[in-house]
Amino acid sequence: MKLVVGSWQLAVGRWQSTVGNIKKNILFLCDLCASVRKKNFVGLLSSLLCGTFAMSAQAESRFPQPQFDTGHVVPEAYHPSVTAVVSEGTDVALLFVALCVATWLVHRVRSRFWILAFSLLCLVWFGFVRQGCFCPIGAIQNVAVAAWQGGGLAWGIAAFFALPLLFALLFGRVFCSAVCPLGALQDLFIVRPLRVPRTVNAVLRLIPLIVLLFGVVYTLNGAGYLICRTDPFVGLFRRSAPLPLLLTGMAVLLLGMVIARPYCRYFCPYAVLLEVCSRLAWEPIKITKATCINCRLCVGVCPVEAVEIPREIPSASTRAGRFRLFVRLLLLAPVLVIALTCGGWLAGGTLLAPAHPVVKTYEAMVQYTPETEALYPAVEAAKKQKLTRELLEVQAREITQRFRVGSAVAGGILGLIIALRILGLSQLRRRAEHEANRTNCIACGRCYPACPKNVKTIQ
Amino acid sequence: MTGSKSPPTRRNLLSWLLRAGTGSVVAALVYRASGFHRSGRMVWQLDPRKCIQCGKCETACVLQPSAVKCTHGYAMCGYCKLCFGFFKPDAPRLDEAAENQICPTGAIARKFIEAPYFEYSIKEPLCTGCGLCVKSCANFGNGSLYLQVRHDRCKNCNTCRIAELCPAQAFVRVPEESPYLLKEKL
Ligand code: SF4
Ligand code: SF4
Ligand code: SF4
Ligand code: SF4
Ligand code: SF4
Repeated sequence: MKLVVGSWQLAVGRWQSTVGNIKKNILFLCDLCASVRKKNFVGLLSSLLCGTFAMSAQAESRFPQPQFDTGHVVPEAYHPSVTAVVSEGTDVALLFVALCVATWLVHRVRSRFWILAFSLLCLVWFGFVRQGCFCPIGAIQNVAVAAWQGGGLAWGIAAFFALPLLFALLFGRVFCSAVCPLGALQDLFIVRPLRVPRTVNAVLRLIPLIVLLFGVVYTLNGAGYLICRTDPFVGLFRRSAPLPLLLTGMAVLLLGMVIARPYCRYFCPYAVLLEVCSRLAWEPIKITKATCINCRLCVGVCPVEAVEIPREIPSASTRAGRFRLFVRLLLLAPVLVIALTCGGWLAGGTLLAPAHPVVKTYEAMVQYTPETEALYPAVEAAKKQKLTRELLEVQAREITQRFRVGSAVAGGILGLIIALRILGLSQLRRRAEHEANRTNCIACGRCYPACPKNVKTIQ
Repeated sequence: MTGSKSPPTRRNLLSWLLRAGTGSVVAALVYRASGFHRSGRMVWQLDPRKCIQCGKCETACVLQPSAVKCTHGYAMCGYCKLCFGFFKPDAPRLDEAAENQICPTGAIARKFIEAPYFEYSIKEPLCTGCGLCVKSCANFGNGSLYLQVRHDRCKNCNTCRIAELCPAQAFVRVPEESPYLLKEKL
């Protein structure tokens, strides 16, 4: 009896708010025909019902709540609470301890073996147990967004961002030596590192800078966390991921057999910040604490080509030549900055902005025809949220403009840094010993046992 | 300790200044980002009112099977005998046989309560978050089935991979203490 009344109310209610939904109705008709052909009457019934509702409004709650005669209690679904592996405080404390231990191993114990052993421990904990999230690399974006908006960052993420930088400011890139799970993982795959030609290296080293600058623009404009999306290893750490993600991770690791630490050197945006800090390090990495005898034995073992060989101050004529070059480059710098600013403006509008969800939805709406089925979900979603094309157009234009401005600024900064890097080439100081380059050295400790002076001190 | 041993030259002083400068830039950045008050962790959740059951929740999550699963808002359910979330539109018969069910993994349990009512519940370990039942329930029923990020599974990625791909922009960050957006309570 209740059912009959219910259905009646329902039918009346629904027919009143009829909104045509052509797609569904066609589907429904197909269904119906199929059911009739197959003499499938349950199907026919349900198809008919479906059709009724499909033609009615998208509104839900079509059937009334039952009153149970048996006194059945409507249950509540169980929703598990967040299961954090450890608390935020423990996370930060462990990172701090790990950085201290790494510093001690790199600067006092000075043993490749123990650095490697400790990096394995960190790989297991920060990588496979904590599963690589969150990490200082991704924290760049959280910090950028929160700093832009002026607050709201969880303190744990703030600490993850700041601690490795502060350690780098004091002791060099000890974070990269053992603590960073991405670095530790790649380090294991170094088999036969090839030398990367200087110019190729210089060009490739612009990528981290580009990722950092444009990644921040991308994030600040609300298009998502680009830096996290380009982390190739997160799938491996979770031992579960969509196939493309897993394959990318494997490919980067395999590449790492011949090009040591490819992600670290040619992609990691956090490395840009670490390098700035590490350049100013209070106690930089030292190949040996004794006097270098310039035997060159350390040069070959460094997988990232960070050993700098001794160099004299060039002769007066070379210096004059370099000075002329310097002046010419100084003239070139503004051109570079302007060119990259314009480039950034263009790239912001054409490459970055289309990744923003609102712009994406707007474009899907513009391009959607029944043939371009793939675009349908975005259009359907916009309709459900009552976003009209006009509204989206205004928003999309605004967002695109923001992207242009942001990328132009990023482009300008990029130009400035490139100019500074080029100018840096013309500034030479005398170097009497083999030294670890302050920015590039990842404190892996491979050169420690290679240096005969070190071996002697141990004996 | 080169820094402490060498005499205080001008160069030394300069590098300490630079070091302190960089250090304070980092500190200032973090200070500004944290604001004046301590904020707790946020986690991901999807807003069932925006979701259009596009199917990405099943495939885009970094976990396979996905951390998103179907949940049932019993308080919204009509306890229908002919459940649109349970039966295929072309189901040969209205019983629990697998060929009659929408759910490809048979993750929905159907229990007789009293005539003519049946209760439906999700066997979570089986659900893959494909949203087929959700879509059908939303289109033809009460919309009491809906998708939620399950926080016993979710890794709380810094950026949720589904959030990046969701056509409905249904993913939002919610406080760790109340990590669900339950449709029956919204
Ligand atoms: S360069 Fe980046 S990825 Fe490599 S070890 Fe350092 S922080 Fe980690
Ligand atoms: S410690 Fe630095 S210089 Fe030495 S091998 Fe490792 S990266 Fe190269
Ligand atoms: S991706 Fe978005 S629209 Fe698609 S099923 Fe998940 S929440 Fe719903
Ligand atoms: S149909 Fe899909 S979403 Fe619904 S219970 Fe089955 S697996 Fe889960
Ligand atoms: S945050 Fe990560 S684990 Fe959780 S639902 Fe999103 S992609 Fe899946």
